[in-house]
Amino acid sequence: MHLLIISSLLLGALGLLGAVVLYATARKFHVEEDSRIDEVEALLPGANCGACGCRGCRDFAVTCVSRGNLEGGLNCPGAAEGAMAKIAAILGVEASETERKIAVLRCNGSCEARPERYVYDGARSCAVMNGVGVGSRGCSFGCLGCGDCVAVCRFGAISMNSVTGLPEVDPDKCTGCAVCAAECPRHLLDMRPRGRRDRRVWVACSSRDKGAVARKVCASACIGCGKCAKACPFGAVTVADNLAYIDPALCRACGKCVPGCPTGAIHTTFKIIQKEAVAE
Amino acid sequence: MPLIFSPSPHIHTSRTTSGAMYHVIVALIPAILCSLYYFGLPALEVLLLSVLSCAGVEWVVTRFMLRRPSTLRDGSAILTGVLLALNLPSGLPWWMVIIGAVVAVGIAKMAFGGLGCNVFNPALVGRVFLLISFPVAMTAWPLPDPGFGDADGVTGATILGQLKMGLVSPDELPLMSMFAGNVGGSMGEVSAAALLLGFVYLLAFRVIKWYIPVAVAAGVIVVDLAAGFPPLVDLLSGGLILGAVFMATDYVTSPMTRRGMLLYGFMIGVITVVIRRWGIYPEGMSFAILIMNGFTPLINRYMRPERFSPRRKEAVKA
Amino acid sequence: MKKTFKKGGIHPAANKIADAGIRVLPLPSRVVLPLAQHIGAPARPVVAKGDTVSRGQLVAEGGSFVSAGIHTPVSGTVASIGELVMASGVPGQAIVINTTHESLELDEKERGEYWTRMETQQADRTLSDRFTAEELRSRISAAGIVGLGGATFPAHVKLSLRPDVKAEVLVINGCECEPYLMCDDALMRAYPGQIAEGIELMLKAAGIPRAVIGIEDNKPEAIAALRAALEDTPFNITVEVLRTKYPQGGEKQLVEAITGRRIPSGALPVSVGAVVQNVATAFAVYQAVAFDMPLIERVITLTGDIPESERANYRVAVGTPMSELPLTVPDDAKVILGGPMMGRPALCLEAPVVKGTSGLTVLADSRRRPVQPCVRCGACVDACPMGLEPYLLARYGELRMWAEAAASDVADCLECGACSYSCPSSRPLLDFIRLGRLRARDFAK
Repeated sequence: MHLLIISSLLLGALGLLGAVVLYATARKFHVEEDSRIDEVEALLPGANCGACGCRGCRDFAVTCVSRGNLEGGLNCPGAAEGAMAKIAAILGVEASETERKIAVLRCNGSCEARPERYVYDGARSCAVMNGVGVGSRGCSFGCLGCGDCVAVCRFGAISMNSVTGLPEVDPDKCTGCAVCAAECPRHLLDMRPRGRRDRRVWVACSSRDKGAVARKVCASACIGCGKCAKACPFGAVTVADNLAYIDPALCRACGKCVPGCPTGAIHTTFKIIQKEAVAE
Repeated sequence: MPLIFSPSPHIHTSRTTSGAMYHVIVALIPAILCSLYYFGLPALEVLLLSVLSCAGVEWVVTRFMLRRPSTLRDGSAILTGVLLALNLPSGLPWWMVIIGAVVAVGIAKMAFGGLGCNVFNPALVGRVFLLISFPVAMTAWPLPDPGFGDADGVTGATILGQLKMGLVSPDELPLMSMFAGNVGGSMGEVSAAALLLGFVYLLAFRVIKWYIPVAVAAGVIVVDLAAGFPPLVDLLSGGLILGAVFMATDYVTSPMTRRGMLLYGFMIGVITVVIRRWGIYPEGMSFAILIMNGFTPLINRYMRPERFSPRRKEAVKA
Repeated sequence: MKKTFKKGGIHPAANKIADAGIRVLPLPSRVVLPLAQHIGAPARPVVAKGDTVSRGQLVAEGGSFVSAGIHTPVSGTVASIGELVMASGVPGQAIVINTTHESLELDEKERGEYWTRMETQQADRTLSDRFTAEELRSRISAAGIVGLGGATFPAHVKLSLRPDVKAEVLVINGCECEPYLMCDDALMRAYPGQIAEGIELMLKAAGIPRAVIGIEDNKPEAIAALRAALEDTPFNITVEVLRTKYPQGGEKQLVEAITGRRIPSGALPVSVGAVVQNVATAFAVYQAVAFDMPLIERVITLTGDIPESERANYRVAVGTPMSELPLTVPDDAKVILGGPMMGRPALCLEAPVVKGTSGLTVLADSRRRPVQPCVRCGACVDACPMGLEPYLLARYGELRMWAEAAASDVADCLECGACSYSCPSSRPLLDFIRLGRLRARDFAK
């Protein structure tokens, strides 16, 4: 009994001593932190993707609060709708909501349109395969299909379609952080504005090969024929290096360029009503 | 006729990781036969049980918990099972062997992520867990009964135990029977000759390098000479050779450079003798290896290979 | 004890299974001459579509000092200048020349006469006295000679030393440490005298006092032939027999094996007083100076899993489409440009043989084994000739940790492949190290 009491007291005293030391240390080394940092951080996605140029979300919040404004392009492309406005409100500055962007794949070389020509036997990585040459599908511009973009997406927004062999971007999950665009060794993921009512039109091909060469490799390649440029009433389509490009700043998503494309290389996020095209 | 393509190189060695595992198992066959010769059927029971339960634990973990393809074929679980058995006294109750296997493979290996990810040698973690949990059963060393017979159940202390208790003096030990293996001990540590045969096999097939085992011996000799104890007794007794050749050289838990291996082995030798002479346990090999396992990442970090190119002077960093 | 480099290295099966003789392939009726066959600026075409060209004529000139001109091996008309699919499958600029049956016959006759004359030419030890160093360098440059060991660095650049740089030794690479390849071996056996004279010319051109030819000890015939050819040379040229080990032909490894000096990280061999050239380059230099013959032909090895009758060394015109080579590729095979350790896979067999093609190795059963976890056995660390930690660098590459890879000296990697070769877990170490190597340049201090 005696022993029990002694040991309890001893251990209790030890614990108390430890608590006192902890308290004293916490007091002595306490750092007064701006409470707004936590508020800003709470509004961020917390993916630490680095798209803002800071070393993660906490660093972004610290930078915002220490500067006191959002000047110099301080923006989180991955934040939810309206989040940047709320951050601006916390900082007490005018909000300048930037246009939300989304990644689109500028390649349409599905397994059907662009069958496998060579068998790849190296490490399963687009960057590695890109270093060996043309890629297993014979197109020196198109998607390599190893899914490096899937691996780097911190939001789980990209998945590999097993039928087409191409990555697909989930518009609900994509935050427009552009990490995938930086990762793709062939720069096939283009960051485009989401567009009004989510209507987007883009050329799903990046091949700068001459029309005949491109078509030989891939049935749905852009051959640079220029029909789309002629069809566009807003001058949004330009053809350079055998490749058409739709400028999102000028495009009004009318869809007039789509029906004329001989290879079906132009993609839209909405249904084209044939009547409209015919009426033109 | 599609062409195959990949980055260089296009040819590869015929050596494989699982091949190395099976080589080690083959190298252990002399020691296994010896233990069967001296300890008879109970030894066989412990061995089979240990191998089966290690393999079983790995299968269950990969199948139901990690949901990955089975990794049984790489041979590492079987090797862990064999090594665990050789570290146990024959005639250990069956359920203790199974507990040892669960700890070894389930906790020390698979919980870290499987082959290549573990920090500590799985078989040794299993053995030390059993030694601390069931000290009586784990130190009931059956005395050898040559001739593959049924063990008669007579147990006694190992030579190291007798030394610790002061029952014998180091100068009157039967070194020849220690070399041949006719002494009490765990299944795998009885015959130095059989283990050294395995060492020669591993060197011949270039499965391991000589650095670690020789450095262990050097560490033992240095401390023994300093303490005035006959080094041969330490070298031939207990699990020293089994540990130095088969456990300390485990690829995953040992350093990668020659300098690192020499330091690692030497420190194992030193710690072993320190525990044997001045510690509470008669045997310190398992603890020494586990302690140095913990230092392996540090050794890899600071004992890097010497670069080919002479370095330009390091820029002064703030 | 024969010399070799000290650190790392591996011993893959040599597989020198091809016939050591040199067979002659007929000139093709259509040649494709890519403009980028060398390291440096691509060549600039000096002919236009429809022009008539004759054998040996310059069709594209060097784009800058570090560049090399290109000559046509056949007479004919320029069919096109434009993009064509190269061996890697990626399009590149090339000049295509079509011939007629008659002009081809004339070319063949001229070619045969030239080779007979060159082969029967008596060794002329005063050849180098007839030219100044300047003249020699301009002849080498005019012949469009590049390093024929595979690196294709323009030869005249390495021989034009800055006046403040002092080179003490010209190291001639006759190692051919790549398994399968035999073209250098075949050249050394067949043309030792010409190679010796080429080395003398290079010594004179660069103003270097002595030369050492490094040959691995698995080529006794080549060693004997070169030793005999060097008996009456007035120059200080010796043959150093090296212990066979891969990658002995690596510039840094070869200079260390022969001179004992280690080239610092990121520096050229001349920083330790050495200049390295290949034996095939020496042969080309001889032809350029003695006969004014530009680099329009080279010897390549066709080897690997092809019928035994096809496995040999061939003298072919640069620009010959690979489809015209006697090469029966089996199903499910890999065709490698060069040897199996460092060669790149060929995807388009319509593409031409270029100056840097040392051979085609066909491997029928080359699929990689399934990848197992890294057990940190240290085989890659032991194998690395640069003293790096491939297991770590590969991991950095996989995880995109470029700064860490740069800090662990990934830039020193010479991509020899010894790490991937030796990995018992078949991990694609070099695949990821190569990525890190490319990206680490951004982090160079």
